[in-house]
Amino acid sequence: QEVTLRLHQFLPPQANVPKLVLDPWADKVEAESGGRIKIERYPAMQLGGTPPQLIDQAQDGTVDIVWTLPGSTPGRFPSTEVFELPFMMTNAEATSRAYWDLFESRMKDTEFKDVHVIGVWVHGPGMLHSKTPIEKLEDLTGMKVRAPTRIINTLLGTLGATPVGMPVPQITEALSKGVIDACVIPWEVTPALKVPELVENHTEFGGDHALYTTTFVLAMNKAKYDSLPDDLKKVLDDNSGQEFAAFAGRTQAGADGPSRQIAVDRGNNIITLDEAEVARWQEAAQPVIDNWVAEMDGKGLDGKGLLEEARALIEKYTAAQ
Amino acid sequence: MSNLELGIYSFPVLLLLIFLRIPIGLAMLTCGLAGTWLIMGSTAPILARLKFETYSTFSSYSLSIIPLFLLMGQFATLGGMSQSLFKAANAWLGHRRGGVAMAAIGACAGFGAICGSSLATAATMAQVALPELRRYGYSGALATGTLAAGGTLGVLIPPSVVLVIYAILAEQNIAKLFVAAFIPGILAAIGYMIAISIYVRLFPGAAGSHPRQTYRERFRALADVWPVLLVFIAVVGGIYTGWFTPTEAAAVGAAGTGLIALINGGLTRETLVASILTTASATALIFFIVFGAAIYNSFLALSQLPVEAAAFITEQGFNPWIVLICILLFYLALGCFMDSLSMILLTVPIFFPIVSGLDFGLGAEEFALWFGILVLIVVEVGLITPPVGMNLFVINSMAKDIPILHTYRGVTPFVISDVVRTALLVLFPMISLFMVRLLY
Amino acid sequence: MRRSAAIEWLARALAILGGLVLVVITLLIVVSITGRGLVRQGLGPIPGDFELVEAMTAFAVFSFLPWCQLQRAHATVDVFTSFFPDRINRVIDLLAELLMTLVMILLAWRLWYGMMDKIRYQETTFILQFPVWWGFAAAMCAIVVGVIVSVYMTIVRAQEAFAGESQFAPTKGGDAS
Ligand code: NA
Ligand code: NA
Repeated sequence: QEVTLRLHQFLPPQANVPKLVLDPWADKVEAESGGRIKIERYPAMQLGGTPPQLIDQAQDGTVDIVWTLPGSTPGRFPSTEVFELPFMMTNAEATSRAYWDLFESRMKDTEFKDVHVIGVWVHGPGMLHSKTPIEKLEDLTGMKVRAPTRIINTLLGTLGATPVGMPVPQITEALSKGVIDACVIPWEVTPALKVPELVENHTEFGGDHALYTTTFVLAMNKAKYDSLPDDLKKVLDDNSGQEFAAFAGRTQAGADGPSRQIAVDRGNNIITLDEAEVARWQEAAQPVIDNWVAEMDGKGLDGKGLLEEARALIEKYTAAQ
Repeated sequence: MSNLELGIYSFPVLLLLIFLRIPIGLAMLTCGLAGTWLIMGSTAPILARLKFETYSTFSSYSLSIIPLFLLMGQFATLGGMSQSLFKAANAWLGHRRGGVAMAAIGACAGFGAICGSSLATAATMAQVALPELRRYGYSGALATGTLAAGGTLGVLIPPSVVLVIYAILAEQNIAKLFVAAFIPGILAAIGYMIAISIYVRLFPGAAGSHPRQTYRERFRALADVWPVLLVFIAVVGGIYTGWFTPTEAAAVGAAGTGLIALINGGLTRETLVASILTTASATALIFFIVFGAAIYNSFLALSQLPVEAAAFITEQGFNPWIVLICILLFYLALGCFMDSLSMILLTVPIFFPIVSGLDFGLGAEEFALWFGILVLIVVEVGLITPPVGMNLFVINSMAKDIPILHTYRGVTPFVISDVVRTALLVLFPMISLFMVRLLY
Repeated sequence: MRRSAAIEWLARALAILGGLVLVVITLLIVVSITGRGLVRQGLGPIPGDFELVEAMTAFAVFSFLPWCQLQRAHATVDVFTSFFPDRINRVIDLLAELLMTLVMILLAWRLWYGMMDKIRYQETTFILQFPVWWGFAAAMCAIVVGVIVSVYMTIVRAQEAFAGESQFAPTKGGDAS
């Protein structure tokens, strides 16, 4: 083979995204290159550093490709947060397609100009997993909750919970020791973190929009991409873009079902908030969205435009399904 | 030179540097940087990584437990708590040969119950117990050997960060792993006590002997121990009831011992400065090693050494037991150079799929639990086997007047005890699994 | 050569400052878990306690490094060197100190660029949303002292090697068992 690409990411190799999204993607690239590209896979931060450093590693060429969360470096990719706002996302595939469109029109040459982006996507509907049941907004009051993103942290504070910050691997121990009462993650991650063993209640949101989602990016070092011969660039290009984004979003959300089943099989209590209750949550969450728009405007980023365009794109792709 | 060869040749180079008395962290850092440079063919990637690597290592939340526990150890000494603890141990056990060292193993086990890191356990106990062991007439060899070995109990006795990471990597139930680790952890503590009693019989000069004390004196000594117990109960109770994380427990311990030292007059401006400076040296020493190890580890990952070693072992077509023993020996060798956590992160994703395909007559889950305990133990043994072992180096560096050769000699009985225990656990998986079967 | 009182004072003062930060971390955590334990009584944890502990620990560790080096407290292994003559040991010490200085300069230089990146990307922490570069800047101040101490120690070692006598014993030696 002539090119070796090092793919670095933070999850163990058998976790859903490495197993179902990244490995198939890498295998496909290797096969379509006729064996001329080899993708070495380094899971669980084996090449060093911490997850927030991944984007720097790709940008600086410490590694060639990374899978990471733009939100792990708050402030650096502010536009991606529009998809992480409360009650934005519908389903992962449509939202991922919308994310790709907005990425191309508004982020590619600005926030992401220092890396070559292969794909962007979001995970399936995010939700609450708690020791005591959350059946209405008020049940959150005083609950110690670990939140995944900056936005959700703010949201939880606004809704009356006490947000507790900690890295993902610590969730398991924190739940088992009662340091936190609940965590906010999608179904797909729950088995790996043993959440169904540690809490008995899971709160899903009825209606068209989920509580939240998290954005991901698969990014490559720019110089490395530019150094490839045209035919190998084409192999990568064929496996980049909106269709890949849709595949990744769909596949990751597809892992929600089996994970949910684990909780069902354990006899856990799965609560689905009805539309009237969800409407109360939406109303309570509105200040978070308003503040975000104002904050973006303050950065000269046209928060309102981002929000409206993202909403329109999500509705468009959701309707098209 | 291929990447793999670079990985292999880095071992003798690293050893040479270490034995030339280059600081260990510096030696690992240098080898890791040079190796990464050679593999990548350019300095740019490693230079880029160093922009953030020092800060992110030093700002790690889980590592912040180390300076906090070290500070706690200092305050405990200022407040007279460690002295009264060892006075009590001496009153009850001092007339037995090696009794106080056995008490130190017990204290390590107790501390191991609140701390999940062997370096932190060894370093904290070294601060607290080393001066006391010397005071009661223990040789430098036996004192440092005891504490280096006792430090491994920090990981063997739950809770243990290493086990949590293994559970996540191997997709196993954490509670069951803790249960499976329980009897092996107790066996470790007992094995160490036996090792001490044999050692002091062979070398009677290694331990001071003290007259048997009356029960009146013993209970009087015990009465002074209550502040230690108070802090210990607060910390352990807090962890097990879920009030705090291990790092928070360390802070509570430091605050508690600091308060007691303040109340009984041990903590003054001068002693505070002195204890801060001691904490500073020990903290910097450990973090510099951890940082060097992180750079060196990622170089080993980049060289594909673990992947190739795994491929080599599978290709031989050995029977499962030989494969298992090869892997355990590989872990033992790696344990010389790496800290347990990064070793688990680096190797479990590679080795676990291989061994879980082999037949040892156990179910999939029981196998995973058993293998996890074996790996955990072998990794920890690597920390105390001469000539290269992080616990040995850390303890020895905190006792500047004791030559490392003495520490090697002192730790030997503990290593033998570890080897015997590991053999037992390999031959009789039920030792690990018995409690799991009983409880689940 | 006489040891420089100024350098010693600098390293010591920095280490003490780092130690006081450690004491502050301790108090912050105790207050935070007390608040967390009393959530039902209307109290709460200190917001962003996690990220504060992280940033402050980083500063503490960076500020402990120069003191550790000045005290020659880094972990070393004297298996073979205790059998070497003092002359060779002094040369080894000089080389080790030189290597350490190069590494400290490398780390300081890279940390500077890391800080510049964090400023450029306007990264903030999760909860308090203070700029990440603040932590880098504090670390930067400490590591500059580290570089100064390293250079100073290299000069001390060079003088020791050339003068043929040690300020402190270069090897541990001696039977302490
Ligand atoms: Na432990
Ligand atoms: Na070893």
